[in-house]
Amino acid sequence: MPVWIDPDKCNGCNSSRQPPCLRMCPGDLIVKDHSVNKAYLKYPEDCWDCLPCVKVCPEEAIEFHLSYQFGSRGAKLAPHIHKDRDFITWEAEDIRGKKETFTIRTKVMKIALDEKVEDSEQGLDFSI
Amino acid sequence: MIERQTIETDILIIGGGTAGCMAAVEAKERFPEYKVTILEKAHIDRSGCLAGGMNAINAYLNKGETPESFVRYVRSDSCGLIREDLVKSMSELFEYCVKKVEKWGLPILSDENGEYVPRGRWNIKINGESLKPILSKAARSAGAKVYNWITVTNLLTEGDRVTGAVGFSLRNGKFYVVHAKAVLIATGGAAGLYRPNNAGDASHKTWYSPYNTGAGYAMGIRAGAEMTSYEMRYVALRTKDAIAPTGTIALGAGAPQVNSKGERFMVSRYADIGGDGAPTPYRAHGPIQEIKEGRGPVYLDTRGISPEKVADLKKAYLDMYPSQVLYWLANDIDPGAEPVEVQTTEPYIVGGHCQAGYWVDVDRRTTLKGLYAAGDVAGGAPFKFVSGCWAEGVLAARSMGEDLKTLDRVIVSDAQIDAEVRHAFRPFENHGTIRHGIKSAELESRLQKIMEQYAGGASTYYEMNEQMLAIARKKLAILPQEAESLVAEDLHQLMKAHEVIDRIDVAQVLVEHMAYRKETRWPTYHTRTDYPERDDVNWLKFVNSVRDRRSGKIELTTRPYEQIVPGDRYKA
Repeated sequence: MPVWIDPDKCNGCNSSRQPPCLRMCPGDLIVKDHSVNKAYLKYPEDCWDCLPCVKVCPEEAIEFHLSYQFGSRGAKLAPHIHKDRDFITWEAEDIRGKKETFTIRTKVMKIALDEKVEDSEQGLDFSI
Repeated sequence: MIERQTIETDILIIGGGTAGCMAAVEAKERFPEYKVTILEKAHIDRSGCLAGGMNAINAYLNKGETPESFVRYVRSDSCGLIREDLVKSMSELFEYCVKKVEKWGLPILSDENGEYVPRGRWNIKINGESLKPILSKAARSAGAKVYNWITVTNLLTEGDRVTGAVGFSLRNGKFYVVHAKAVLIATGGAAGLYRPNNAGDASHKTWYSPYNTGAGYAMGIRAGAEMTSYEMRYVALRTKDAIAPTGTIALGAGAPQVNSKGERFMVSRYADIGGDGAPTPYRAHGPIQEIKEGRGPVYLDTRGISPEKVADLKKAYLDMYPSQVLYWLANDIDPGAEPVEVQTTEPYIVGGHCQAGYWVDVDRRTTLKGLYAAGDVAGGAPFKFVSGCWAEGVLAARSMGEDLKTLDRVIVSDAQIDAEVRHAFRPFENHGTIRHGIKSAELESRLQKIMEQYAGGASTYYEMNEQMLAIARKKLAILPQEAESLVAEDLHQLMKAHEVIDRIDVAQVLVEHMAYRKETRWPTYHTRTDYPERDDVNWLKFVNSVRDRRSGKIELTTRPYEQIVPGDRYKA
């Protein structure tokens, strides 16, 4: 599974109908289960590993995993967006536990927790 | 009953990606009186090729370079055959576009004099993690109206005039009917025609965006637009498994390609055409021959690069392809201590790296009145990458703006729109009403199996001949009929059904193009074992096609090559 949404950390972006992870997935692969108020990756086999969902989650609830066929679990790569939104620090850990960090310049846009869909009544939901 | 939403606009842009966003800005800035509407398949902030970010602009005229030197380079890199008028006109706008995006907030590496730092002859380094949201914000701020999550299923036409487009919303299930005076296709190219490198939960771990499924090509094919050069497929040389770009290593760390014996095979076997700097098709063809002849695996030799260079490499990947870094972490790989294995991808149809796409004039008008093309769907101009797609967006926006003075709103018949509703929602209607309906994933594997085994897939080292292509043609011919039994339970599946419908139309045209060009000009992209040599006497020309709207027959034709920039076509 390429990305994994930690149900203990995901708060469904409160009452959001269209949380950021769901909106920023270019493949329309993430859905929100409104009955438990949590988002999950519904179609893992269609994931491109492009990671906007990971970077956009305000709770840092989305973990970046490698499909198991490519290598062992236990390695870690997690982005942390700086408060000024001009830098990302990536926290890396290899399978032997060696840690490194990389800070890169960027321009991370702010994103609202919800967004109305054009021509829609809020509440219409075809995604689950 | 499907609810319909009707939109009236002057300019309709299908696809809010690299080309589409830039076209929207240019159109609103130059022609503020015109209404500009974007239909976007995903959410415009993170859609298409740039969703994950980008760490370089790979088509830029660095100091000392000119549009002419660029044309000479692209011409030799594309084995002597390109639309020089198109390549020249886009290169004249690289600076205009890049400076614009820098102003919108894109960090570009500059020296103390404010000059961009070159990463290679045509490359500059950017911190483009957020390139896509930067572009989408500019498009919206300029005043373009964006509709997200619309899967466009067809163009609206009246004779040879394109009058708009139709599609459905993934979110509210409505059918959108957009009437436009001018329509720009900027959907991107086609992935998923061939079986991908990886299976299971990594089947979308592809070079090209797996969500670019040839919709823009397919709607043009169905509308009878003239297409060019589909046979120049693109096969990318990428890192093994992670499918990350090799240019980051080759250009960033200066690492040469070696085979399992440590031999710099590009230098020893391809010296006459430039060795490590051989035309791009040969840089994929070379390693494939090594593997085919038992001298694989093939590597980029990064051994001995400094720890600082290794850290730089990782940072560059984190800007656009973080999974390469996670791959190294998960496999205990230090690229400074062991070489990075490379592989080739499945073939894609993409006019931004190669030149498959709409046959356009220098102003990016297609052969259908009112229809324009920019970016990966526009043919004849390879080596576009990001900046060339921007440039084409600008060129198309300018010509649409001028043409709008004489383009009227054309009324489309209700019967046409009713038929389009049926076409768009048929898989939905099929669900529960037909027995043994076909799922999109099933039809996709059927298509990919045919293409993989008979139309030059990776398992046959991308090779093909007349007999193989005849089998592919016959097997593909059944699929449009099969597609009528596609079933979809929800809107997401409905989108997936249309992705397969589109790819079948593209695959059929692709096979006809590959069969028609009886030479091997671009090894691996189009290796004809029955015509293994390049043939400038008979084939220094473009292979074009039009699918007849009534009979559905794909008619092939050729168009002449025109040399604009003098000089040896095989020298940069």
